[in-house]
Amino acid sequence: MSEGLVLAGASYRYAGASKPTLRSVDLRLDSGRVVGVVGPNESGKSTLCLVVAGLAPGVIGGRLEGSVGLDGIELNAMRSPDLAQQCGLLFQNSATQLSNMTATVFEEVAFGPCNLKLPPVEVIEVWWALRTVGLEKLASRDPVRLSGGQGQLVALASVLALRPRYLVLDEPTSELDPAGTKLVTEALERIVRETGAGILLVEHKTDVLARIADEVLVLDHGTVALSGPAATVLADPRLAELGVEPPAGVRLERAAKASGLEWSAELAEAVG
Amino acid sequence: MDLLQRWVARQFTTRVIVMMPVAIAINIVLGYTVQSVLKLPIYVDSIGTILVGCVAGPLPGAITGILSNLIWQYAPGIGAGSSIGPFAVTAGVIGFMAGIWGYLGVFRSRPASGLRLIVPAAIAIAIIVLLAARMYTIPQYSDPGMGYPSWVNVAIIGIGAAASISVALFVYLRRDAGGAWVAVAGAVTGIVAAIVSAPIAAVVYGGVTGAGTDVIVAALRQGGADVYNASLGQGLLSDPIDKTITSFVVFLILAGASSRFLARFPLGDRLVRVEASDANDAGATDGN
Amino acid sequence: MTPERPTATSPVVAEAEEAHLPEFVRRIPVGPYRALNPVTKATLAVVAAILAFGVRGWTGPAVVLVVVVSCAWTAGVLRRMAPFALATLPLVASILVVNTFLYPGAHDTIAKLGPLSPTWTGATTALQATLRVVAFGFSAALFALTTPVDDLLVELERRGLGRRGAFVVGSALGAVPSTLERAREVADAQRARGMETEGGLWRRFRGLVPLIGPVLFGALAEVEERTMALEARAFTAPGRRTILRALPDSGRQRAARWLLFVGSVVAVVVTLATPVRLP
Repeated sequence: MSEGLVLAGASYRYAGASKPTLRSVDLRLDSGRVVGVVGPNESGKSTLCLVVAGLAPGVIGGRLEGSVGLDGIELNAMRSPDLAQQCGLLFQNSATQLSNMTATVFEEVAFGPCNLKLPPVEVIEVWWALRTVGLEKLASRDPVRLSGGQGQLVALASVLALRPRYLVLDEPTSELDPAGTKLVTEALERIVRETGAGILLVEHKTDVLARIADEVLVLDHGTVALSGPAATVLADPRLAELGVEPPAGVRLERAAKASGLEWSAELAEAVG
Repeated sequence: MDLLQRWVARQFTTRVIVMMPVAIAINIVLGYTVQSVLKLPIYVDSIGTILVGCVAGPLPGAITGILSNLIWQYAPGIGAGSSIGPFAVTAGVIGFMAGIWGYLGVFRSRPASGLRLIVPAAIAIAIIVLLAARMYTIPQYSDPGMGYPSWVNVAIIGIGAAASISVALFVYLRRDAGGAWVAVAGAVTGIVAAIVSAPIAAVVYGGVTGAGTDVIVAALRQGGADVYNASLGQGLLSDPIDKTITSFVVFLILAGASSRFLARFPLGDRLVRVEASDANDAGATDGN
Repeated sequence: MTPERPTATSPVVAEAEEAHLPEFVRRIPVGPYRALNPVTKATLAVVAAILAFGVRGWTGPAVVLVVVVSCAWTAGVLRRMAPFALATLPLVASILVVNTFLYPGAHDTIAKLGPLSPTWTGATTALQATLRVVAFGFSAALFALTTPVDDLLVELERRGLGRRGAFVVGSALGAVPSTLERAREVADAQRARGMETEGGLWRRFRGLVPLIGPVLFGALAEVEERTMALEARAFTAPGRRTILRALPDSGRQRAARWLLFVGSVVAVVVTLATPVRLP
């Protein structure tokens, strides 16, 4: 019985599709670690998120081969309310993740715990989730009227409120401007520090991954093409041919070396 | 009783619950936009209702229709001064019927060619012509004592001809025999809707509802028809066209949607031809 | 936790206070008329509709109008009812014109204006219908202005509507303005590409058709993701979910609700089924 969220040889095919979208993927998500996933479009990143969070095939059907397990229990065996408390899932568009049933950010974040019939004295604990993502000052605002970045924070907090051990995020910053991206990235850092959750982060923005990921996987046509520690993978020269842009630090270092300029650890530090 | 409970529960999966508000919004926004821009005697406010009905079932369809009308009536900005609320009954009936058509698989795409295309089209046109002919002969339209002006007969012939031609064209151009059944379903739904609406319009509003259709009501009254017959006459002219157009739009939407999207709905299996390999796929618990 | 019928000092309201929920969550409405339980206000709206349309003659709608206007004045929203009144004008005009000039079977003409012959019967019917429409419109306006929908949904859910019913209504109410917004954006984009919104019927029809597609498909595309987002927030857990807000109710209000509802149904039945006729 292994700890952690483990995919072993997982292959997934959507209902009605002729070919599998994911092929024999091995992945391990541990508490307190951030695993980044990059890859070109149509490489199966979103599908991977659905499989890891247990929504595929549980909610959307399709066929899964191999095993997807949490502490040894297959995710397939769990019902979605229980899954939601183990593994939270976040999408790109903050607007579609709102319940549209709540008038304030506080109630939106409390949506999950209320669904689980927790009494009000326990629901009040969601202040913790609001604090962790940095939303306390906005708790009384109407969730529909927030900016893109703030909306994603609300979605993040509302998933956090269920205290999942793992978080799966499918390109959470792709529709955000740089300010919003910064908000979300900082919130993720706080989450890792303060909750010890294991995070699977799919991102196009390799700069974000350079900052917070411990490990990075490169997905290509549904298989894992590269994997390893973040710094190593993000500096790998094969990234470009796999359709992924390396982070700014890596690109600067290469450009500097190509022009014969000095490159040192301090410079790397300053660039971030 | 348990069977009934399960039948009800099967129609209200999470996906259906999510779809209903979207459909309600489509009804209201498209209906309001079309009516305020075009001011034609058609409503186009049932696309969402029929869509939900044929993918989810009669009950979700009916509730979508009823809620659309009630929310529209009480919606700030667009509801004030409208007369749509009391017609929630009609909307419920339309949604319920759409569910029945869904069960019968009427909205399934049936690509075909040659004889398998022509025969359904011919049958559909025959049914439409029969319906028009039956309408032609109801006392309201044929008895001068009841007071309908003669242009009504011309209108019916015109509508019947236009409908037949449109159905034929649609089926031919899209090579889809399904269009024939959709047309019949739309026409029948329209006639039922008109029959249900007439007493509501007559009793609640005295026949005048403020929509573009009042022109027809006025013209019929000019000919001497009383309040109820004028409403019924107007309804029988507008509703079948409106519901047939709406049904075609829904049919086109379903044809354009991926089978992946449709398969997860309660009536999805009647909308999509299931491939052999999918039959082995893990059944999903849809949050029931 | 079993949700109970909330009364002014019910356990549910007390529980909400005990949990120290922030004020902006509890949002208990104050003020005359507004402080009434939303279900009471909704009952009034329904009763008004029943009486306005169900009781033939002048009495029903007149009574409704008087009651609604006094409630509106008590709640301080009378002035804000004006736009609602104005909005009923097109419908009222239509009713007046069609019925006065084209009432079938009436022969008591007011005057002969060329080919048109307005009748007294027609005019009377028209005015009655107008009164009904105005009374109903005002009662709808009163309800809309004094009752936040969220309050009503909370109370209905406590009384058995269930989380899915509350979701459908609440989400639909939110979806209407956002879909309207999207429709406007699509219309602007189309107009920039040369779609016509003015002009003859055919032009307007041609301009409208390309609008329908994007709006429809845009709305439908979200269904999949919204479904998954709900599942990810344990929406499908069984049973009655926790409702944080609790609005006060009272035995008196409950009695009044029953009385009004039954009374209105009786009034309609009496005027329809018996020879009793009100003016």
